[in-house]
Amino acid sequence: MKRTLPQSFVLYSGLVVVLLIIGLPFWWVITGSIKVPREIIARVPTMFPQSFTLQHFEKLFQSTDFPAYLVNSIGVALFSTVITVALALPAAYAFFRMRFPGRAALYRLILLAYAFPTIVVLIPIYGFFAKVGLIDTRTSLVIINVAFALPFSIWMMRSFLSTVPREIEEAAVIDGAPARVILLRIMAPLIAPGIASVAIFTFIASWTEYLFASVLIVSDARRTIPVGFAGIIGQYQIDWGLLLAGATAATIPVVILFAFVGRWFVSGLTEGAVK
Amino acid sequence: MKVGLLTIAGLTSILMSSAAFAEPVSLTLWHMEQPPHRVQRMQELLDEFNKAHPDVQVKQEPQSWGEIYAKAPAAFAAGTGPDMLFAIPDFTTVIKGIDAVVPVDDLAKDLDAKHGFVPATIAPYQYDGHTWAIPAYNMAISMWYRNSALKEAGIEVPKTWSEWKAAAEKLSKDGKYGVGLPANKQLYTDQTVYALMVNGGAADIYNEDGSISFDKPETVASFEAYGELQKLSPPDSTSWTWGEAEACFASASCGTILQFSVINTYETQAEADAADLGVAPVPHADGQSESGTISYSNAIMLTTKDEAKQAGAKVFLAWLMEPANYGRFLTMEPGLFLPVTNDGAEAESFWSDPIVTKYKSQVETMVANAKNGKLFGFTTGKVFPSIGAISGQNVIAESLQKMVVDGQSAADAVKFGQEKMSEIAGK
Repeated sequence: MKRTLPQSFVLYSGLVVVLLIIGLPFWWVITGSIKVPREIIARVPTMFPQSFTLQHFEKLFQSTDFPAYLVNSIGVALFSTVITVALALPAAYAFFRMRFPGRAALYRLILLAYAFPTIVVLIPIYGFFAKVGLIDTRTSLVIINVAFALPFSIWMMRSFLSTVPREIEEAAVIDGAPARVILLRIMAPLIAPGIASVAIFTFIASWTEYLFASVLIVSDARRTIPVGFAGIIGQYQIDWGLLLAGATAATIPVVILFAFVGRWFVSGLTEGAVK
Repeated sequence: MKVGLLTIAGLTSILMSSAAFAEPVSLTLWHMEQPPHRVQRMQELLDEFNKAHPDVQVKQEPQSWGEIYAKAPAAFAAGTGPDMLFAIPDFTTVIKGIDAVVPVDDLAKDLDAKHGFVPATIAPYQYDGHTWAIPAYNMAISMWYRNSALKEAGIEVPKTWSEWKAAAEKLSKDGKYGVGLPANKQLYTDQTVYALMVNGGAADIYNEDGSISFDKPETVASFEAYGELQKLSPPDSTSWTWGEAEACFASASCGTILQFSVINTYETQAEADAADLGVAPVPHADGQSESGTISYSNAIMLTTKDEAKQAGAKVFLAWLMEPANYGRFLTMEPGLFLPVTNDGAEAESFWSDPIVTKYKSQVETMVANAKNGKLFGFTTGKVFPSIGAISGQNVIAESLQKMVVDGQSAADAVKFGQEKMSEIAGK
């Protein structure tokens, strides 16, 4: 069906509005990071930079521990993502296919952990981690991220599993494939978009996690970007150029990862999965 | 044989005790000076101290003010807390409440005798018969303006609220705002409102018995004056914290602001003409004769029960307060951190800093203003635990919002503040 001119106008107008809402903050941050300080703090803002400088990025990478925060964040987010996906996939498959007592109740119950206010468990978790020697370790952050991302990831993954035609699984069973092979060789490639979604969800949640990272990590060398960056900015005096440069530098790895690697990841896994 | 064994045992014990004596005391210092240049300066000082004192080794672990109220109690409960911890007065009440701080009476007395504490800086830490922390640096709010802007408008530096309002009205032209005062429910607004309350005779928010004395004519008058000035502020000032006010001033969009210091931002992000930067005491009510302000004396608490560590920490604090070292400590943030001791205020190590030298007259005014500083909840000589919650919940700022944002009268807004503070104090 061909769209009429008014329909197209409404459609593209809507797209432009959505694009502006999503893109303007990014534009603002990225262009601000290359402006000289006076232009940044000007009361009348400039949409397009009237000046150009890389001084904020130089300061960010030469005078702060931002590179260390970046490495810590990438490490914590990647480990959290891999472990969450590795646990969510078999757990979701078990809830989807296997029969065991209390399955339905347990399936609903795990989401409670996701709905739990994190601030409530902050102090008890600190005490527990202190007892087992996990304070000031990146491992503690990975455990926390996995613990909070896993329930929702299981729910997401199970929803994707339920979209796979049962006949495909039955054909594998007839061929004598065990559950592990069915999950990894048959189901996983078919729900690759679901795996990618869970991975993206977990990565972003780990990348931006602030509360636990700020309390469980004590030393500067182990801080992640959100916490380390908050310290760089300061309280009473704000270096706006440094703030914008840091925000840009913190966003770029995520954008690159999911704009290119993410697309390749999804298309590569799904290619030829369903004949 | 027996003598030989006794000799060996004796020598062994001597060697062991010597080894134990030689073992340096390791101290962990938590502070909230996270910006990289402050961490770097602190490390320089620690390296110097550690080199000169092989028996006491201090390491720093910078933390954030945003989380320290939750993190420190959790760390002490888990046995992983620091040995020394930076504090502001209301945070000290929190740490004292969990019995994690030890008094420093003798050290405070010694340091006072040697260096002379500015009374306003140590008073907020002296209550219940003890001194709970050693003041480290002071911050006090002043009024900042541009000399050229006042000259162009043909006005003098305002000293009273009515002069300030008249000046702000004259400066409000060509898209500029005569004043920039926040009305956010945040600590900065607590501070700026209290700066007017101090200058309106409403400094005490507690009675002697611990009941709240917020609702009084002087507070209402302070709110009314603040409200009049706030109307001349930029419309987005209802969401401001310190940074936005500073940016408004640095970009020459706000004629006057109340701020601890704008020197660093003015120097690095604005035109940086030192001669044009003006600083003055916060204007007072028309019926008052002199100005006061709000000041935050930041201090260092001893938070270890280990006596050897306490002794080591005292050696470090005494070393830090020596004028030759203290000035370099203060200038980790030049133009913001002010001395708390009389000899610190004259220290060559402080005044020789390039930024302090460049803005010498402004810093001198800031130091003078800081001597008349007060802090809400710490004015009567008695300290009540509820001040931590009143400060943490920003009740003063919330009360102001009732007037500025919700359109209530000053009297109703102050009444709300009285009820909310009383509710907190009654818990």
